[in-house]
Amino acid sequence: MKRATRWLFPLGTGILLLAVWYGAKRLWQIPSFVLPTPGEILAAAWQERRTLVASVLITGRGALLGFVAAVGVGFLLSLVMAFSLRLKQSFYPYILMLQMTPVVILAPIFVLWLGQGLPAIVAVTFMICFFPVVANTTMGFLSADRGWAELFVVCRATRWQEIRYLRIPAAMPYFLTGMKIAGTLAPIGAITGDFLAGTQENGVGGIGFMTIAYFSQLKIPALFATGVTACLLGFLFVGGVSLLHWVLLRRWHDSFIGSRRN
Amino acid sequence: MRGKEGFNNLIMDPGLHVRLAGVGKRFGAGPGVIEEFSLAAAPGEFVSLIGPSGCGKSTLLRLIAGLTPPSAGEISVGGAAPLAGREGVFLIFQDANLLPWRRVAANVELPLMLRGDPAGARHERVRAMLDLVGLPHAAGHYPWQLSGGMRMRVSIARALSVAPRLLLLDEPFGALDEMTRDRLNEDLLAIRERDPFTAFFVTHSVMEAVFLSNRIIVLSANPGRIAREIAVPFSYPRRPELRETPEFLALIAETSHALRSVLPR
Repeated sequence: MKRATRWLFPLGTGILLLAVWYGAKRLWQIPSFVLPTPGEILAAAWQERRTLVASVLITGRGALLGFVAAVGVGFLLSLVMAFSLRLKQSFYPYILMLQMTPVVILAPIFVLWLGQGLPAIVAVTFMICFFPVVANTTMGFLSADRGWAELFVVCRATRWQEIRYLRIPAAMPYFLTGMKIAGTLAPIGAITGDFLAGTQENGVGGIGFMTIAYFSQLKIPALFATGVTACLLGFLFVGGVSLLHWVLLRRWHDSFIGSRRN
Repeated sequence: MRGKEGFNNLIMDPGLHVRLAGVGKRFGAGPGVIEEFSLAAAPGEFVSLIGPSGCGKSTLLRLIAGLTPPSAGEISVGGAAPLAGREGVFLIFQDANLLPWRRVAANVELPLMLRGDPAGARHERVRAMLDLVGLPHAAGHYPWQLSGGMRMRVSIARALSVAPRLLLLDEPFGALDEMTRDRLNEDLLAIRERDPFTAFFVTHSVMEAVFLSNRIIVLSANPGRIAREIAVPFSYPRRPELRETPEFLALIAETSHALRSVLPR
């Protein structure tokens, strides 16, 4: 019964939304070049499937590179900042400043420095993913229980042992939360990057680039279809991080064992 | 001295000698938490510290463990100044303080791993310690799968794994129900018969203090000072039935009275 409702409720909502969509279109007689039906969008997606798959691969590559770079650099920088208050004080205001600066302003600067194409797209993705990783992971490194830290002192652990066996495992839930947020942002970052710095080959570019292309060609159902592919790419990222979250934490962390606890 | 050698040295070495002379501790510019505190524990002695909240009991343990330096006076542990991370000195914390991402065996193994014992000796030692605390089947469990009492047993096994010569226990059984606490008290004494160590035991339970100790130190608060010392004459090993004897109950009454006289009204 419980299992069934898990599927039935979202399914019902979906059907309701589709009904509203078709109903509104018919009621106000909205033409398809303003609002296509879901059927038309799927048909357009099928027709443009080669282009769309290629665009997802292009954008996915930029998103993945930027995401991985942000996660890696963010993790290391957090580690450094967690162990030196001075370094934290030195870096943190500037990390915040970068986060405050809108990416649409940074993107042209990246294009200026790196040229149109992948490097600029990766840079934009990096910028948008970086902060959630750093903010969460730094918090994680500093959140290890004081009792645990004293246990390591009593055991005369070296600094490296403390990092390896205490700080990193304790920070894992926070790090993964940062990664999850970054995962939702990475495709958005890469698409923004396409949009502002994307290049094309035989008329095919990233998702952001194709959005502009379809708009200028007035292929409105295909334009909507790029939205669908962007959405799928986002789910891919979030799914990947969720899988990692599950692999690393399912055995011990409250987010998984809460309901099993006696 | 590491690993298994601890077992062979038992008869020769009942534990570390601890001496505090005129010890004071204040944090920053605040009032003294402890003042003019002098106390000596013979090797192998079991000393309980009991007193109102804020009397500096936990601070005393942390001073002896070398986790914080004294503001005045001198402390000697086995003839040397306290040093955090010194071999043979171990602390059992208020809650079991297990690492939730490590299985029971890996938690018990942690101190041995951190000091670099070889894996084979470590695993053997972990198995022996889990047998000792009565949890031979819990090795593969995570801490969240255990009851509070079992978690405390794991914590004890972890402390015993290094064959401590001085064990500092900070209200280890405070969160447990009385029956579990009584059982763990009995088991702790049984373990100590086999593998002696000097013990400082902070508690709020008069019954527990009388059952476990050679000597009970009643502390007054603000600042922490010794209000009264009570010698416990019962010989070891102590049987659970001891708790029902008139002599035991009389000592509980005496300790409770001493404790009441230091409580702020």
